[in-house]
Amino acid sequence: MDSLFGLPMNALLIAMVALLAFSLSTIAYIALRNRIMFLIGLRNIPRRVAQTVLIIVGLMLSTLIVSAAFTTGDTVDHSITKDIYRLYGHVDEIVEFKSREDAPSADIGIPADDFASLEQALRGDPNIDGLLPVIVEEVPVIEPTQRQSAPNARFVGLDETRLGAFPDVVDLNGNLLDVAALAEDEVYINESLADELDTTAGAEIKVYYENEPIVLRVAAVAEGRAITGSFGGGETEGLVTRLSTIQRLFNKPDEIQFIAVSNTGGLRDGIEVTDAVEARLEAAFVANNLQLNIADSKRDNLDLAELAGNGMMTFFLIFGTFSIAAGILLVVMIFVMLAAERKSELGMARALGTKRWHLVEMFVSEGMGYNVVSALVGATLGVLVAFGFTLILAAVFAGADFEFTVEPAVSPRSFIIAYSLGVVLTFITVTFSSWQASRLNIVRAIRDLPEPPAKPGWRSLAVGLALAPPAALLMWWGYASDVAFFFGLGFSLACLAAAILSRLVRLPARPTFSAIGLALLIFWALFAGGRVPGVGELTGGPEMFILSGIVMVASASYVLVYNADIMLAGLSFAGQGFGRVLPALRMAIAYPLASKFRTGMTLAMIAIVVFALTMMSVMNSNFDRLFLSEKNFGGWDVEVRENASNPLEGGLAGALEQGETPVDTSEFAATGSIAVAPPFRAELCQPNVSNCDDLEEFEVYILKGADEAFFRHATIPLQARATGYETDAAVWGAVAGEPSKAVIDVNALGSDFLSFGDFGVFGLQGLDADVRSFDPIDLVVRDAASGAEETVEVIGIMELGASGGGDPGSSFFGLMSTSGLVERVFGEPDFTNHYVALDDSSRAEVVAREIESALLTTGVQASSMRKDREEESALFNSFFYLMQSFAGLGLVVGVAAVGVVAFRSVVERRQQIGMLRAIGFTRGAVALSFAIESTFIALLGVLSGVGLAILLATSLLTSEEFSATGIQGVYIPWLQIIAIAAFALGATLLMTLIPARQAASVPIAEALRYE
Amino acid sequence: MATTAPRPASLRPPLDELVIEASQIVKTYDTGRVQVRALRGVSLSVHRGEMVAIMGPSGCGKTTLLNCLSGLDVVDEGTVLIEGVDINRLSDNARSEYRAKRMGFVFQFYNLLPVLSAVENVELPLLVSGVPAKDARRRSLAALEGVHLTEWASHRPGELSGGQRQRVTIARSLVNDPAIVWADEPTGDLDSTNAQEIMDLMCELNETNRQTFVIVSHDRGVAARTHRIVQMVDGLIVDEERPEGR
Repeated sequence: MDSLFGLPMNALLIAMVALLAFSLSTIAYIALRNRIMFLIGLRNIPRRVAQTVLIIVGLMLSTLIVSAAFTTGDTVDHSITKDIYRLYGHVDEIVEFKSREDAPSADIGIPADDFASLEQALRGDPNIDGLLPVIVEEVPVIEPTQRQSAPNARFVGLDETRLGAFPDVVDLNGNLLDVAALAEDEVYINESLADELDTTAGAEIKVYYENEPIVLRVAAVAEGRAITGSFGGGETEGLVTRLSTIQRLFNKPDEIQFIAVSNTGGLRDGIEVTDAVEARLEAAFVANNLQLNIADSKRDNLDLAELAGNGMMTFFLIFGTFSIAAGILLVVMIFVMLAAERKSELGMARALGTKRWHLVEMFVSEGMGYNVVSALVGATLGVLVAFGFTLILAAVFAGADFEFTVEPAVSPRSFIIAYSLGVVLTFITVTFSSWQASRLNIVRAIRDLPEPPAKPGWRSLAVGLALAPPAALLMWWGYASDVAFFFGLGFSLACLAAAILSRLVRLPARPTFSAIGLALLIFWALFAGGRVPGVGELTGGPEMFILSGIVMVASASYVLVYNADIMLAGLSFAGQGFGRVLPALRMAIAYPLASKFRTGMTLAMIAIVVFALTMMSVMNSNFDRLFLSEKNFGGWDVEVRENASNPLEGGLAGALEQGETPVDTSEFAATGSIAVAPPFRAELCQPNVSNCDDLEEFEVYILKGADEAFFRHATIPLQARATGYETDAAVWGAVAGEPSKAVIDVNALGSDFLSFGDFGVFGLQGLDADVRSFDPIDLVVRDAASGAEETVEVIGIMELGASGGGDPGSSFFGLMSTSGLVERVFGEPDFTNHYVALDDSSRAEVVAREIESALLTTGVQASSMRKDREEESALFNSFFYLMQSFAGLGLVVGVAAVGVVAFRSVVERRQQIGMLRAIGFTRGAVALSFAIESTFIALLGVLSGVGLAILLATSLLTSEEFSATGIQGVYIPWLQIIAIAAFALGATLLMTLIPARQAASVPIAEALRYE
Repeated sequence: MATTAPRPASLRPPLDELVIEASQIVKTYDTGRVQVRALRGVSLSVHRGEMVAIMGPSGCGKTTLLNCLSGLDVVDEGTVLIEGVDINRLSDNARSEYRAKRMGFVFQFYNLLPVLSAVENVELPLLVSGVPAKDARRRSLAALEGVHLTEWASHRPGELSGGQRQRVTIARSLVNDPAIVWADEPTGDLDSTNAQEIMDLMCELNETNRQTFVIVSHDRGVAARTHRIVQMVDGLIVDEERPEGR
């Protein structure tokens, strides 16, 4: 994992270590220059152990989140890297046939002469260990004794005379297996296939090719490697024999499909010469006029592993942003409260002659004492949290049959960066807070008198005036350049400037701040939905989620703390029903309302995390419902995917008639099929934006052609229709009935940044993501292998749910036209998918099993479309809940804040507690008062966070952009929200137990004397 | 001025009824390194309707004695009977309830809750005792009227002067019609004018309602207005006197 948001990690390491050194050297300077203040600062730490522990917990969280994010990235990178090295073995590059420069084709073989020429050209190259011709076919395999099958095993043929540089066919004990020793009817199967078939060495298996069985004996079980059939991103079922055997069995004499290349240097060192080898290969291709291309390399996959690690780390950091923000707020609040606690001492210190700077030194010393320890605790716990998360992730993927071996890992670099970042962030916050705390009036401090309300002066004027121009500039810039973030930030800053300046003209605080707070809330609610009059919709991404959350929570906090006394009045009015609890209740609300800063900060910390969690739940739930909506299945219940090596003769119905076991087709309401053009051969070009005479302008996409039976029954929903088509049915009718009309999935509108390896994916230009109506668009469809072309007219765009949400493997993803188009341009399709609609949709799973069982030897995979979608959704949701749990770590900050406030309150109100006990409050009443007080603040925070999230989510989901996806109405997942709220409140209550008990245990006589 | 309607003369408790009986009470504080014997065998009796001042130098144990007599602290030895009840045998909750219903407290630093209004502070003991909120509010307003602070009922302590705050404290101490009012340096934080007014109020209440007052003070002027002055030195009562004219 080498970069973070584009910054090289090594550079980041140097920068953070430098800043860490600066922070620590500042403390060292204080310790040397003013030992007294340094020691006074440190001696404050053990004064109140419980409070110290709480402060460390609160301070460590930001570091924990950063450390967890980095460690997760390291673990993902390391795990995938380890798997790649294991799977690829000594295969460093893979060469395939190509028809032109950037569009290789995997289903056309490499002529034997080409291999010989290449081998000759590369002979003696010091960087190349060896070349290995390979052939691979995907075939169904059956174990007749165990009645187990693997529908898509990779049958690999290796040139046994050239395996010297590829010692990767090994048994489960690591011993080399001799491919040359295999008889004509013998194979090695890999571990995955052995597990799938529940078989072992010596067993007999059957492979089906073109619907004919081939009986083979298992000579041994080999480890999963690329050359034993495991490639393409994980362990897959495979079996190995000699090249000549497969060529004979599948009637492909002298044909090979891949050339594996091994670099000099072994498993890991070979990477270092990849550039030189690739250059050498390219030169050889050109010099010998070979139609070959480097399709894949170990190093490319290692780069992808690093990308995955970076992506995971970035993902975690984004989700942890709110928690990090809450952590910083907590640091500020802790030091403000520590300053309040020591006000008299500080006043006396100043009276005795210490300077303000000395007080700063003292606080910074104390702060760094907490900081150094808390950052270490946080960084270490972050590593453990990440290990826990990645293990859960691996279990999630294992449940979905996606093999992903997790090996927890953390690099020293990541740990050091996380630790340094935690220390530096807290150091900056502590220094700022210390400077603020040092600004006290000596007499008021000594007498512990409250500070008078701050009168706005020249500082406020300066800040307000300084904010106004950049605010206006940001708004203009954002509007002019269509960047929502700038406009939103500018407007928010403008409101802040207005609030500051309003105090200068002595406007009353409550109505002014309430009005500005409400204005911001309304603005962001409208802005999210593109409904701000005169502004409309501007472009934004995940950064808007963060900005809107922070501003909305801050605004709501202001509105709440300035108006919550209305709640108190209401409570008093309703006081009758509370009996003896009323005084405790009244105090529990009155005290927080009297400390606006403290209460506002605490409720903001809780609100911001609850906001993030609720937003995530609402958005995920609504998209989940969209993807599981019945309309996405287009009226079909069962999907049957053919095996390319064993096409169904006579279509699905014909194959079922001849199947091994009978299937009752009388419950079939309809059947249809979609032919799929060979992947990576189908390319598209948009002539109104590109020059389609230039083959470079073509980009790959998935092309499908449905038959008439499919169109007759299908009801796939459309997001947009071309002008002139009043209904979805009219569009589909035109696609079915007229030549060269097509519908494309909505993902094409935003996919121009995606790629499959080196191949750019086609993106439809000129239409917004929320388009509803458009003029028909011509596209040129081309076969990269043969060069055949045809122009189609796109007259519809499928809804997001029907399009599979960006999953290329989804049923209807791609450009869809007629099967006739596919045949005209590509000849025979690569494979065909069949669809069945049932009279009773609830029988889809049963029918799918029956079809798969009946057609076992053909290797078809039949499944209930609803069940497939539900399993995908379940997998995604498992991952989502993991992310949500990570984001929920921020609740620890909020709960810690409540705890810090509660502990501090016990100290501050000690004398008052004594008085309450004197006039008759029982211990229980005192404890109850404190518990209710903390719960009240937490409740305000939770309600605020939930309310804001629902407001924002509703605005988003009802906007043009989102309703275009097919989302109808807004679904609120109340159970999830209640669970979030209950957790937050429960944790708060637990945190309050100790300070509440402390308050209740205050000795009355001592407390009354306490000053 | 009465906080409740004056009782008919026939129902006034006789002055010679003992309301406080303390016998040989000992109280020791353990600071970890040093043990401080704050009370070394103190005996004191107070009659109903009596106003008693406890005086002595700093650290003589007068506040400790007040705390032990009122149940705010427990004695290590000896007995304390309040209206015949041994308060040291009561559970903490029972003591709290007793204080809520039968005692009032006036402290030097007022100890009003700064976040509640004057009337809300006054009604606290009533609400704690289980008096319905409506009744508690009515009685609290009457109590504030008794100390001439009706128009300040909705103001918070921060908006009141020192003398006004102490009156609120007195109103709070009397709102539950207590048998005994314990006052620890009630005028200690007031100027002379306010101090005079507070003492006038307390004496008026004593004469009108026959409430028993036990006042800790180092102010001779305050003590001079009581029925009896008890002198303490080093944890013992060393002298008792009746001020002139009492």
